[in-house]
Amino acid sequence: MNMNPPLPVPPQIPPPGYGPRPLGDDPAERVPITNPIAAIEAILRQPRRLMYSLRQPGAGGLIAGMLFVAVVCSLIYGVVVGSFSGHEQWWAAPVKISVGLLISTLICLPSLYIFACLSGSQARLAEMFGLVAGLLMLMTLLLVGFAPVAWLFSQSTEHVAWMGALHLLFWFVATIFGVRFLNAAFAHSNARSSAGLNTWIVIFMLVMLQMSAALRPLIGRSEEFLPSASEKKFFLSHWADCMDASYKHRSRGND
Amino acid sequence: MTAQATISNPPALGTLLSGEAKTLAGWAGQFESRRFAFHIAVIVVGAGCYGAAMGWWRAPMQALFVGIKFPLIILLTTLGNALLNAMLAPLLGLNISLRQSLLAVLMSFAITAAILGAFSPLLAFVVWNTPPMTPDVKSTTAYALIKLLHVVVIAFAGIAGNVRLFQLLAQLGGSRRVAQRVLLAWLAVNLFLGSQLTWIARPFIGAPRLPVVFLREHALSSNFFENVFQTLDWLVSPEPPNQPGQKP
Amino acid sequence: MLTAVKPAFSVGEFLRAEARRLREWMAQRDAGLVGFCVAAVVVGAGLYGAAMGSWREPLQSLYTGIKLPLAILLTTLGNGLLNGMLAPLLGLNVTLRQSLGLVLFGFAVTAVILGALSPVALFLVWNTPPLNAATQLTSPEYGFLQLALAVFIAVAGVTGCARLWPLLREWAGNAQIGGRVLFAWLATNLFLGSQVCWVLRPFLWDPAGPPRFIGREYLHGSFFETVFEAARRLIF
Repeated sequence: MNMNPPLPVPPQIPPPGYGPRPLGDDPAERVPITNPIAAIEAILRQPRRLMYSLRQPGAGGLIAGMLFVAVVCSLIYGVVVGSFSGHEQWWAAPVKISVGLLISTLICLPSLYIFACLSGSQARLAEMFGLVAGLLMLMTLLLVGFAPVAWLFSQSTEHVAWMGALHLLFWFVATIFGVRFLNAAFAHSNARSSAGLNTWIVIFMLVMLQMSAALRPLIGRSEEFLPSASEKKFFLSHWADCMDASYKHRSRGND
Repeated sequence: MTAQATISNPPALGTLLSGEAKTLAGWAGQFESRRFAFHIAVIVVGAGCYGAAMGWWRAPMQALFVGIKFPLIILLTTLGNALLNAMLAPLLGLNISLRQSLLAVLMSFAITAAILGAFSPLLAFVVWNTPPMTPDVKSTTAYALIKLLHVVVIAFAGIAGNVRLFQLLAQLGGSRRVAQRVLLAWLAVNLFLGSQLTWIARPFIGAPRLPVVFLREHALSSNFFENVFQTLDWLVSPEPPNQPGQKP
Repeated sequence: MLTAVKPAFSVGEFLRAEARRLREWMAQRDAGLVGFCVAAVVVGAGLYGAAMGSWREPLQSLYTGIKLPLAILLTTLGNGLLNGMLAPLLGLNVTLRQSLGLVLFGFAVTAVILGALSPVALFLVWNTPPLNAATQLTSPEYGFLQLALAVFIAVAGVTGCARLWPLLREWAGNAQIGGRVLFAWLATNLFLGSQVCWVLRPFLWDPAGPPRFIGREYLHGSFFETVFEAARRLIF
């Protein structure tokens, strides 16, 4: 006797973006996204619905909503980052992370539009902005997902370099998913090649990494809110200095 | 009896362990507080018994502490990663909700805990047959044997739990490839958080020279991966700069 | 999603245009296209130049913002006649005006990319330790800035050429002829362009004195003479 008749299998999420199916083909994709919560739900489960909505007139509200979610999520993750040092970092780290992400996006937006156009993409500037807002929202949402893990580690380690490496790892994973969304959306814009987008992704990631060095300290503490002009460094040299300091700290610890 | 009937039946350990994917998928799809409590109870009792057997060799108080810590680690890992796991699943192609992903992970941990619980009498018997801990216990064969036994039992229980989770994910998503991706991502994040929680919750077997404590004094002063990295550093560095006990 | 095509040239329309469409624009003697290309060079390269020069001081920023588009336009005009003659000699049947338009188009694409990258360049400059009394031509921050800004120019230049290539191929109806013409134009533009830039230096910084648009000493010597002299010193 079969005691288990088939249970309804939930609909499969199609591979994001790729394939011949035009956006809005499925009626479910044409359901308007009316609030930020629906936008969160859509970017995780129905990315095509979000892509479709961004192409509709009056997508400004949706873009603003996504940016709002990105700012809130980056503030939440920033509090976790600041919890390592406490004191003024409780507010400084969230503010720096949130502002840093937005400035990085604004710096890179013109080049994204130009590279997209050169690739033959038919997306408008507003749509591009919406897609980058989606990338930011997805990135920061995932960072919030990582927040409990990051918080646990920030309470159980004393080394700034370790925490930095961990936050970088989480940022990298989150960025990969964000970039996946952007790539999927780009594939729907009639682009002839993705070389321009790939170049832009490299630039965007480098700018974000440099922003983390420009707005330091994000994890440890300093007397200054931002480094002075004479303390400006490129992120690789900042990392090298942090590693060096951490190594010396460990050596001293065993004295 | 229909599947609906099976799903709504009182939760039974046998049903959970037999891992009928459709039944488990039904359980994951429908939240029922009694079933949820049952899974938590299985984790608390199963992992608790196993933890008690693990700590018993050092002292009865250590058995009590580990009996509390072991299920706690499992539950904290499940809860700590709940949001992340719920986001990773749809991003990797499996359209399930936060509640479904939480229940799926909880069920797999419950299966693991049940197996661990089943092995706990065996472990207790081995410990009972082992000579008491001596100051040089870490260099004895008995210590190595007990450690190895723990690794084998925990690995077996973990693999069994994950095999069931894979079947459940494949049932929920209808695709083995998607299930594989999601399982791998969940495993990675759960291992990441779980290993650090375990590191903080030391000691488990205990050491005769150290007092019996719930958490070590400096439990929060380092992390698991830092320690692994330092160990690797000492192994590959020709002149270790900061090997324990060696002053630079 | 298709953007509504405006009657004037928009940046998007200009960059997205297929080779056939561009050829039509050129063949129609569209003055709007030439005006757009010149404006793109002035604004795009100007913004990038301003970002470059901002490392030193605002006056240098202004000077470089003027000199970079000037270098591009002077190279285009200076080689106009030569490029116009080389093209038919190498098998591409274009008029002098058309060859000028084609070269200008390549440079305009480069300049638009440079303009889009100017916020990134400005961010890079802002992150570089500022000039001080200890800064030398061998300082690592100066070297890094030079290299990074040159990489951006190289990326933009290569993309500009990559956009010109299908247009030449379409025009010539033959990939071989298109390739030959592109190579010849690249060689002549590089040759004149490097000397124009040599004369118009400094773009970033000159330790010899305060910012000047063009110092008298810059009209002495040439880029290739300096390269040759450096190579001679290195070998002998």
